[in-house]
Amino acid sequence: MKPLAGFWLYTRFILERERIISAIWIVAMAASAVGFAAMYPSLFSTSTELSGMAQTMNTPAMVALMGPVYGLDSLTTAMVMAQTCLIWFAIASAIMNIFFVNRYTRADEELGRLEMFRALPMGRLANIAATLFCVLLLNVLIASLTMAGLLAINIGGTSIHGAFAYSFAIGAIGFSFAGITLLLAQLVSSSRGVLGAAFALFGLFYIIRAWGDMQGNDASYLSPIGLGLKVSAFYDNNLWLLAVLFGIAILITIVAGVVYVKRDLGAGVIPAKPGRKHASPLLKSPFGLAWRLTRGAVAAWAIAAVVAGAVYGSIVGELQSFLSNNAMMQQMVQGSDGGNSLVNDYITMLFSIMALLAAVPVINAAMKIHSEEKHGRIEQVYATATSRIGLYAGFIVIALLQSVLFMVLSTLGMYASGYSTGLLVLTDLFKASLVYLPALWVMLGVSVALVGLLPRLSVAIWVVYAYSFVIIYFGRMFKLPDWATNISPFGSVPQLPVADFNAVPLAVLAAIAVALTLVGLAAYRLRDLR
Amino acid sequence: MPVIEIKQLVKKFGKFTALDGVDFELDEGQVHAYLGPNGAGKTTTIRVLLGILRATSGSVSMFGKDAWKHSVELHKRLAYVPGEVNLWGNLTGGEVIDLMLSLRKPDKHHKERRELFLKRFELDPSKKCHTYSKGNRQKVALVAALASDAELFVFDEPSSGLDPLMEKVFQDIVLELKKDGKSVLLSSHILSEVEKLADKISIIRNGKIIQSGTMDEISKVAAGRSLEELFLSEYNGKEQ
Ligand SMILES: Nc1ncnc2c1ncn2[C@@H]1O[C@H](COP(=O)(O)OP(=O)(O)OP(=O)(O)O)[C@@H](O)[C@H]1O
Ligand SMILES: [Mg+2]
Repeated sequence: MKPLAGFWLYTRFILERERIISAIWIVAMAASAVGFAAMYPSLFSTSTELSGMAQTMNTPAMVALMGPVYGLDSLTTAMVMAQTCLIWFAIASAIMNIFFVNRYTRADEELGRLEMFRALPMGRLANIAATLFCVLLLNVLIASLTMAGLLAINIGGTSIHGAFAYSFAIGAIGFSFAGITLLLAQLVSSSRGVLGAAFALFGLFYIIRAWGDMQGNDASYLSPIGLGLKVSAFYDNNLWLLAVLFGIAILITIVAGVVYVKRDLGAGVIPAKPGRKHASPLLKSPFGLAWRLTRGAVAAWAIAAVVAGAVYGSIVGELQSFLSNNAMMQQMVQGSDGGNSLVNDYITMLFSIMALLAAVPVINAAMKIHSEEKHGRIEQVYATATSRIGLYAGFIVIALLQSVLFMVLSTLGMYASGYSTGLLVLTDLFKASLVYLPALWVMLGVSVALVGLLPRLSVAIWVVYAYSFVIIYFGRMFKLPDWATNISPFGSVPQLPVADFNAVPLAVLAAIAVALTLVGLAAYRLRDLR
Repeated sequence: MPVIEIKQLVKKFGKFTALDGVDFELDEGQVHAYLGPNGAGKTTTIRVLLGILRATSGSVSMFGKDAWKHSVELHKRLAYVPGEVNLWGNLTGGEVIDLMLSLRKPDKHHKERRELFLKRFELDPSKKCHTYSKGNRQKVALVAALASDAELFVFDEPSSGLDPLMEKVFQDIVLELKKDGKSVLLSSHILSEVEKLADKISIIRNGKIIQSGTMDEISKVAAGRSLEELFLSEYNGKEQ
């Protein structure tokens, strides 16, 4: 049979199923990309403001966060916008692509939906080809709309080339993760595993990029994110880099297609082997079950924390050379405490990023019980002498563990790799990192409250998360209104060691976290389960 | 005192009324079959009984205690096999059985019973759950329930997916449970199974009980027709 028979039919089916989610993504991405860009001219109306921004951007912390700095001698508004926004939309695009591809490949396969389609007169490759086609369409639509919008608002320094480079870099970086996810969906036999592996790779690529950009070496080219940022939108406009990135993505999808055709439906490439006949004593309790369902994630995130901390720590030594090569910067920090303020600035930035990363496993652990419910696996547990609170308490303990573990391990990782510079003091690092714990617990509380009160809207937690991200991110560059900062759990955390310690906001956050958790648990105890 | 006593149970999902005043009683030591067409409300009744769903109104009690308020305590005395068995793909069958048993606070003899039922159902406990066939997943849930020392067994279409040989094993086991004085709530679509096992029958349609009684009483209502003919006409709603 023709391998692509049924391609258009399946494409229509995906477009039908996707129309709402994709419409939301398209509008949210294009509108916010153009909307943010439209704010820049009022923020930087004079050339002094632009060169002031050049100084802010050209710090190690900002380069590690957002990518390489370019064109400082001839900055335009569009260039500042691209250097501070591109990475953020590239991340959002990657997330969108990862979820989209997993939804139509491994997730559908796991739920047995793919099996029904394969029984129809449909080619073996039709479903993954259609999935790729649709996700490509989605990326192109978003990029085209963004480009049209940027040309329409025409902020200073806009050119057709630049607008194309900026918009399609977002699309190309995102699409490369569509390819990576498609390949992972062939290798890993559960959709949760695919998502975990895809996001782990994403994190790795982000860190490689941060490291390469800080060192100013070519390592960044090894990461799709780094490669995409090197397009230098509105300056060099290296469009050929986008072509390379797209080519790599297509190559990966071809490999994925070959694996897909060769393997059995439902299987990964690693065959299942027989396991234990009896449960270990550890498993035989509600907490044991919660632990068993999350221990893989705990281990993976522990490794991620050490690696992330170590990579950022290894850059501390570079701060000195950054300083000596940069006359403007030297002037800035002279008179104050020299290199130390640079290091401190870097540390605050670092731990705000670590806290955002740590929030992901915390939220996942708090939400796990809801995903078990959606998969129909919780009913049989509650038919035993297990109380709802008892089981949920297990997941909450694990979420708390995740929060502490991530912050502690990333701190230790950073200290170990930056130790030789003599610039780091372990107790100060711990203060700067652990100060984020109450904020992480608020994220935990919001998750529990959603699962208890609004289980159908539980994805709203990621809106809270995205908001916190934006606040932390833009809070570093602009003076945001206090209320906007304070309604994000992370916004009111004292920025140690740059700012002074203040226990009041932390106590408030902890109280809010406890209240939300209790309300969520009370509601969870009383509501219908699916 | 009946083991299960449901009075005027109403369950609404938003505006949709899934159960509309259900009355149901299961007496000690009896097998009570619960029948009805697809979507009639059997599973919903069982889920209210288990405290997974909350009754909109009406009273639901087991062993004389409110099924919602005392659910945890009551669940030590019952074992349940869901209609659709979803297991954790990366746990083995043996692990799931042990987990379920220990969550129910097992007695001294559960280990022997576990091995016995594994043998009777010819189930390999060392396989990962995602590699089990549908019938084998069903067996995991059955062994986990039967190996307990529960007084009440709640089965929601327990034999869907079992082959005829295993179906026979299951029926034998239910008869043994009855002999041991256990009570059984059996929701099923297999009429021959119901005829063989049930002491009492209740039929639900559109959330209302439309027929309830002992086997003998039901046979009288049938008035010469076979049970199958009776059920078919009841399911169709021609009796009203
Ligand atoms: N969570 C829910 N929300 C809305 N409607 C529901 C929900 N659960 C069940 N229903 C509806 O309640 C009715 C009864 O469903 P139930 O699962 O109890 O049927 P059943 O008798 O077990 O059917 P079957 O023989 O197919 O298993 C159905 O119409 C179903 O669609
Ligand atoms: Mg049912």
